[in-house]
This record gives sequence, structure tokens and C-alpha cells, in this order.
Amino acid sequence: MKQKKNKTTFGTLAVAMFWLVVLSGVVLAVPFDMTDPYLSVSNMMMLNPWASLLRNFHYWSSQFFLIFSLIHLYDHFHYKSRIGLKVGISIRLSLSMLIIFLAMITGFLLKGDADSVQARQILQTLAERIPLIGRSLAYSLLGSTESYQLIYVHHIATFTVFIAIAMVEHSRKYWPPAIDFVLSTLGILIISYLLSAPLHDNLNPAVKGPWYFVGFQEILHWLKHPEWSLLIFLVVLVLVYFVNTAKEKVMFRSKRSLLVFTVAYSILTIVGLFFRGENWQWTTPWSEHYKYSVLHSFRTPHVEFSPEFTLEAGVNAPVIQGRKESCLACHTETHGFTDSHSAEAIGCISCHQGNPFATGKEQSHRNMILIPGNLATAPLTCGTTQCHPEIVERVPKGLMATLSGMISVDRFTFNEQDNPDLLTSVHELGNTPADEHLKNLCVRCHLGNPKTELGPVNEFSRGGGCLACHLNYSEDAEKELVENSGGLMKTHPEISVKVTNNHCYGCHSRSGRISTNYEGWHETTLLASEMPDSSNYRLIEDERVFVKEQEDVHHQLGLECIDCHHSYELMGDGTHYAHQEDQQDVQCSDCHIDGTPRTIAAENLDNESAIIAALRFGNISGKQFLVTEKHERALINTFVENDSIWFLTKNSGKKMAMKAPAAQCTRNEAHSDLACSSCHTAWAPTCIGCHNEYDPNERGYNMITNREQTGSWVEYIGEYKAKLPTLGIRKTEGKTEIIPVVPGMIMTTDLHSFTGNEKDGTIFHRLYAPAAPHTTSSKGRSCVSCHNDPLALGYGEGKLEYLIDKGKGKWKFTPRYAADKNDGLPADAWIDFLQTREGKVSTRSNVFPFSVDQQKNILTVGACLTCHDENSPVMQRSLNHYEEVFAKQSSKCILPDWK
Amino acid sequence: MNTRRTFLQTAVAGFAALFLFFWNKITLQHLNTTTPKKYSFPFNKNKLVTFDDEFIVISQSETKVYSAHCTHLGCRIDKMEGNRLICPCHGSEYDLNGKVMKGPAYKNLTELKAQISEDGKTITIES
Repeated sequence: MKQKKNKTTFGTLAVAMFWLVVLSGVVLAVPFDMTDPYLSVSNMMMLNPWASLLRNFHYWSSQFFLIFSLIHLYDHFHYKSRIGLKVGISIRLSLSMLIIFLAMITGFLLKGDADSVQARQILQTLAERIPLIGRSLAYSLLGSTESYQLIYVHHIATFTVFIAIAMVEHSRKYWPPAIDFVLSTLGILIISYLLSAPLHDNLNPAVKGPWYFVGFQEILHWLKHPEWSLLIFLVVLVLVYFVNTAKEKVMFRSKRSLLVFTVAYSILTIVGLFFRGENWQWTTPWSEHYKYSVLHSFRTPHVEFSPEFTLEAGVNAPVIQGRKESCLACHTETHGFTDSHSAEAIGCISCHQGNPFATGKEQSHRNMILIPGNLATAPLTCGTTQCHPEIVERVPKGLMATLSGMISVDRFTFNEQDNPDLLTSVHELGNTPADEHLKNLCVRCHLGNPKTELGPVNEFSRGGGCLACHLNYSEDAEKELVENSGGLMKTHPEISVKVTNNHCYGCHSRSGRISTNYEGWHETTLLASEMPDSSNYRLIEDERVFVKEQEDVHHQLGLECIDCHHSYELMGDGTHYAHQEDQQDVQCSDCHIDGTPRTIAAENLDNESAIIAALRFGNISGKQFLVTEKHERALINTFVENDSIWFLTKNSGKKMAMKAPAAQCTRNEAHSDLACSSCHTAWAPTCIGCHNEYDPNERGYNMITNREQTGSWVEYIGEYKAKLPTLGIRKTEGKTEIIPVVPGMIMTTDLHSFTGNEKDGTIFHRLYAPAAPHTTSSKGRSCVSCHNDPLALGYGEGKLEYLIDKGKGKWKFTPRYAADKNDGLPADAWIDFLQTREGKVSTRSNVFPFSVDQQKNILTVGACLTCHDENSPVMQRSLNHYEEVFAKQSSKCILPDWK
Repeated sequence: MNTRRTFLQTAVAGFAALFLFFWNKITLQHLNTTTPKKYSFPFNKNKLVTFDDEFIVISQSETKVYSAHCTHLGCRIDKMEGNRLICPCHGSEYDLNGKVMKGPAYKNLTELKAQISEDGKTITIES
């Protein structure tokens, strides 16, 4: 027959748990290092599976000690009869409830991770705010921030002893029944094997206290004066006292109050555990970062008794940010990084995530990010607090990520908006004809498009977040990737500032083709099969045929894209711009300087520029760098020394002296409104005769969801040639300038084919677009190539003749191309001869063709040039003294008759 | 009248109070003698925000040093988003002048006195 004193209750189970905690704690003291708790715990988890098991055992037995103690309270409290303990014992019991929580929380603090450090700080602040004795109490309990000595002492001695005494005193038992020990040990062993005690990886931004205090944390977060919450504690202890000692009414009311409090606290605990994420923000289970911010703290590996790496590899694995990472114990020979991103410097999980404390492949790789750096995961990887948060904030607002201009102009040409300048983003595409068009044909070229396959960035690449520019595969890495058949790879690609033209190629060999233009390649309409076998031809992406044209002079000199375009242009400066010319900062005049250069001393550089400059060029102290005029950014690969301006290529460090612009570029008379590129552009790709139609049966693609679909917009092109660009006018707030323009859209769009709506016909547009062709020539174009050229003036190709008859001169234009049936102008024209246009004439609201008066002025000089050679003294003089020369015309001069 | 009992109870209470007094004194004296009054570390005037264990150094037109401890419950502020300093514990936000912008904190960050060395490379902060 069972004797009453050997009955198993929650109380006796709690006693069993207590002794298990003490026993496991004594043994745990062996591998635990009080002087570096975080490192010693991570060492345990990685190198000492038995210690890891014991640590779990210690953790779980302590949690169950708490739980069973609370249930034990409930067991005794839910009876109607009076408990009637003596005052002394009751006071000590209430106090021991507090001490139990203190023992638990000090145990939580002793793992030394990010959760613990912040919890420690909160405890210190709360204690310090107790009047009179607060400061001493806080210090006596927690000690100084650098040492865990006092916390350790209190956890293993002070609180343990007190609990033991209180426990024995009120139960009058030392030991629970033997069966309790057996059941408890067995249960805890199983749980300890399956679920490891928590340890924060010190990277995830969400920090929380232990589960039993999370409800308290929820309360704290509402209180402006959080120290009043300590009174809640006091009230609970007093209520427990009353239940233990008081009579009838008081006891009953105290019991009810405790019940209400328990229910309320449980709800708050659930809220705190499952609905609070980073910065204690409300996070719902269906939000994007729920898994990362909330569920992360529940992920825990089981104990692995035979880790998948050798002990030696584990011991030799480096300590990163205060703890060991198990990744490097298996991936021992991984190399190929730059110094700042090497595995020894930042470890693996700061980029790839996963579990740094698990010792088996499957558990370590859980929730790993194979290809970090895509914009969706950049805030968790490249952009974590200790790394590049400011950059990761800027990039998504830049044009390469939003595609604002591309989308707005497209919608403008589909007549879905009346101006092309609205700010928008590729993440806000809908289902209109323009948006579908963009999804079918255009928007894969945005940084948010994820890179999903391993391998280098090449002409086929589109997007990839940070990797789009910063990923570099060495030859070895590429070779190993190709040859690898599933084993551990050793050569890792590098993340570096070595951004080459190859990185830009994928996207920028399309649209304006500036990548290919720059190198002197023009895309033809030939099929790959039609490509002649000659070095003047080249195949890109296996199907596009390019022919050799004149390369940009800067390319000839060895400059790469990034030698001009700096990080605040490419990664954005945080402003959401409407068009590329707004986000773009560098101008020709920033390097080719007329007069005194604008400079900044190295000591005054902003931090980011200073770091990169030093990384690329070594010691920069004392250097004076050039500063851009538009956005006042330092050009870190330039410097002014001894009245000379020097330029360094960023990737190869090639030094060259910068030339000032020639005299004819800087005079203030004729041509002062011309942008440099108006004269110094060798050619620009021009396309005419496009037609857009939607074919519901065409095999198409949705570039947002990255899925194939049936039905797509199809573009039919007319002609695609490399020609000298047309000139147009851009009017901004500060200035009016003449810029190169190209036929962007002389096209028809069959809207009806998409909407099926009878009211929708075919849209016709004749729009030119501002261009930055990137085919800079060192010698400017000839005078006649603008003044006597119909294409330059906007009339289109053809014969522009100055006919002189009976002493009168008249300009006559015969277009080469037939008239377009939509508006009667030649197929490639912008404006009619000696006419101008208003309204929708270009892809910008600030770009216009020449006015009639301007055309007349240009053609007047053109008339002179039909007789006078452009290098003749009179023509050269007219550049600086036009009025004077004009007034002195001889009787042989025949000026145009405009009637 | 049990004067012996009363005497003993009073004596025990008295000694307990004395012990409490000693404890308070010892702890405060220990704190005063061991807490460093000044911290020095390298300074970079071109870096907008530098986070340290105990301080945040902000260099705008002038350099100011603030305590890194959130005024709500003392958690260490270790990150900046947009132009706000954010506390990871309960989400309080401060602007770059230490002014509290979002609760639960309601007090501004404590500003600390600091001196920059003549060569501009070291900063010394009074705690």
C-alpha cells in the first residue's frame, strides 16, 4: 500500500527537478568559463556534445522546476480550505518565489549572448531605480558590466542555498520519492537530446528575455515609468502571502486576484513570444520577416554526438564576434575572400545565416541563405548593424532598383499618364497594358531581381542586388564550380570593390546600349546565323550580332565605368529620383576643368569615401580630391598636386594627367550652351519604325514572378543604325543646354490587341529621347555635321541643299525616308523642316526640339558654310565675334530667304 | 513583560539594520573606487555615428557624445535606421541630437562631456 509520505505530487517533482538542476549545475561548472561565458557555451555546443547535453539538461530541469513549482502553488491554492501557514514560513515562501525567479534569470544571464547582455542592462536599470538602496542593490546583484563574477556567485550559491532551505523548511522533506527522480531524469534527458537550450547568434536583431519574463517585458514596453512594474512583483508576492496565511475573505480575494493575474500574464506571454519581433514591433505570422524576427528564437538543434568534422578542425576553427562558428569546422579550406570579408574576419553566418552552433550538416544548413546579397535578404546579410546598413538603405531607392524613369516613360507612351516624371517603383506594377509590357520585356533589369544560381556575373546576368556589381569569381573559383560534383567546395567567390565593365554589361548592353557603345560595338538586326566571320563582328548572349564602331576615347585610355561613376550615383544617395540624369552626378567639367578645381582634403572626406579611397589607393592623407559640381561628392580616384590634376583608374591604378578642355570648348560666345557630348559624340544607336502588339498566343515571360506565361507584348523593330545624334534642347532650373537626342520612340502601339476594347485603337508617338551615348570622341564633330545636316537639326536623314537662284538663297530638304502615314513626317524625323512641335515630343517634359528661330539661326551659319570652309579665318573669327562678322558681310554673301 | 525577549528582538533588528548600513556603504565605496571616470578611444570626425558599448559619438557640424543606454530601461542602443537611433529592446527612437522621437522612452539621451585631443585623433569622455 502506498504511504502518504511517498506520494508523487507536483511539489515532489519540483523537488526532484531542483536536485537535478543542482547536480547538473555542479558538473556544468567544469566546462563553463565565467570570464567568457558566450565563448565557453559556444565551445560546449560545438566541441563537447556531452557538455552540450548536460547544459540542455541543466536548462530544461530548471525550466521544469519553475513550471512544477507554479503548478504546485496552484495545487494548494485551488482548494477552498484555509492553508494557514505560520507568518514566518509564509514570508520566507513568498521571498523564495522571488528568489526562484532571480535564480532563473541569473542563469539566463550567464550565457552571455545578446539577449543576456540587454536583459542584464534592464535588470540593472530597474534595480537602480529602487529608492535609497537601488544603486547598491543593482551592483550587489549584478556586479560590473565587464564581469560575471557576482552573477555567477549568486546563481550557484546565494539563491540556490536560499531555495534549498525554504524548500526543505516548508515541505519537511529532503528527497522526493525515488520514482520521481527516475521519471524526471528520463523525461529531461529525452528533451535535452531533442532540444538544445537557447543561444542567440548575436546577429539576429530581435532580442528577448526568457519566456517567463516575456509577459513582463510586454508590460514594461507600455510603461513610461517602468520601475513601477516592480510593484507588480511586490503585489504578487503579498497576494501569495495572504493566500498562505489569511482568513476567509482576504484569502479568497487574493486567490481570485492571483488567478486573474495568471490568465492576463499568460496572454501577454503569448503576445510577447509570438507577435513581437525586431525592436519589439508587432509582427504578424503572415508578414515577410516573421520567420526571421520571431520564429528564429525557437529554432534549436538537437545534440549531435558524432559531429561531422574532426575535433582538431573544430578546435582550430576561428572565434568570430566572441563565439565559435561550426561552419568553419567542416568548410576548413575555404579561401578566395578579400581581407575584409574573409571567414576569419566575419565568419560565415553573417552572410549566409544558418545555425552556427549545430554540428551536423542538415541542422547547420537549416534556414541558410545560399546566395546572400539579393535585395530581399540584403537587410539581414550585407545590411546588418555591424556591416553596411546605410548602403543597404540607399540602394533600394536608387533608379537601378526602382526603375522609376523606365516605368513612367513607358506608361507615358502608352498614354496611361500625361507626363513621364511621376515617381514610381518596379514593385508597384499593376495589370495595365504598359505594366504588362514592362513585365514582358523590360523589368528584369532591376537590382531587386534575385540571383538564384551560383556563378559569375556576365552578359546574361540581370539584377542580383549587391552581387550584381560586387561579386567576382576568380578563375579557380569558376573552374571549381563547373567541375564540382557535390563535394565541399573550397574556392569561394569574392565580394569586392573590383567592379568591372562586365558587371554592368548584362543590363547596360540593352536599352541605350551604353556598355556596348562605350567599347565600340553597335547592335545590328542580323540573326546569329547571318553573322559574317570577321573580327568586326561579335555575338553577345549567343544571339545578338554587334558590329565594330568607334570606341569611346575614355575606353581607349583604359577607363572603366566606375572610374567616372561613383558610389553615390550607382548605389544612390537615398533620394528617389525620377530620371537617370537626375541621379547622375559626374559631368565632363568635373574632370576636364577650366579654371580653379573644386577640391576637398582627405581629412574632410565622408567616412565611406575615405575608407574606399584608402582601400584602393593606400595612404591618402594630405591628398586633395576633386569634388563634383552637381551633388558635391568627392571623386576619390582623382587628386590635385602641384597645379596638375591627376586621375587614377580604380581597379588598375593607372595614373594619367587630366586635360583641360580646349579653348573652343570654354569660350563664352558661340556654342556656350552646348553640352560637351553635343560635339564629342562619335555616334549613337538610333532606331525607328517600331511597332508594339500584344499576341495572346506568344510564349511570354513575367519578369516579376520570373515565370513563363502564354501571351506577351511583342516588339517589331524597323531599322537600327549607328549615326551621329540629333541635337535638342534641355531646359532645367539652372540652365538651358543643347544635348544629343535620339529617336527613342517613333512607334505605334496596338492597344486594342491587349485590351480587346473597341474604343482602343493604335497609339502613335513620335518621341525623341535625351541620350548619353558614351561614344566620346577626342575630336569634336565638324561644323557642317550640325549646321548643314538635316539629321542633326531633327528633320531626319535626307538631302539638305542650299539653292541659290537669282541672288536669293533657299534651303530645301528632301527626306530620305517615306512619310509616316500617321502624321506625314518622314519615318525618322523629329520635326518638320523649318517647323517645330509642342506637346508630346520627347520622353521628358524638359526636352524640346529647336524652335523655328533657332533652326533659322543654325541654318544661317550653315548657309555661310556652303561657301566658307569651316577652318577659314572668317568662320573662325565668327565664333567669337559673330555680330561683327555678320555685319561685315560682303556683297557676295547670300543669306537665306525664309519666305 | 518579557524584557529579555524584547531586548533580544530589538538587538537583532538593530544588528540587521547595521548590517544593511555596512552593506550599502561598502558597495557604494567600491563603486566609487572602481568605476572609471574617463574613457579614451580613437576618434574619426568624418564618421557620422560611432557606436560603442557605453557611448554613441555623433559628428555633425559639431561632435557630441551621448550615453548608449536607452532612457527607458537602459538597453544598449546599437543601430541607426534612416536618421534615427533605435533601441532593440522595445523600439524607442532618438534623432541624431539625442532627442527622443518615439517611446516608450520619454527622456532624451544623456549627453556626456567629451574632449577631443589636439590632433583630432582621440576623444576622452567623462562618464
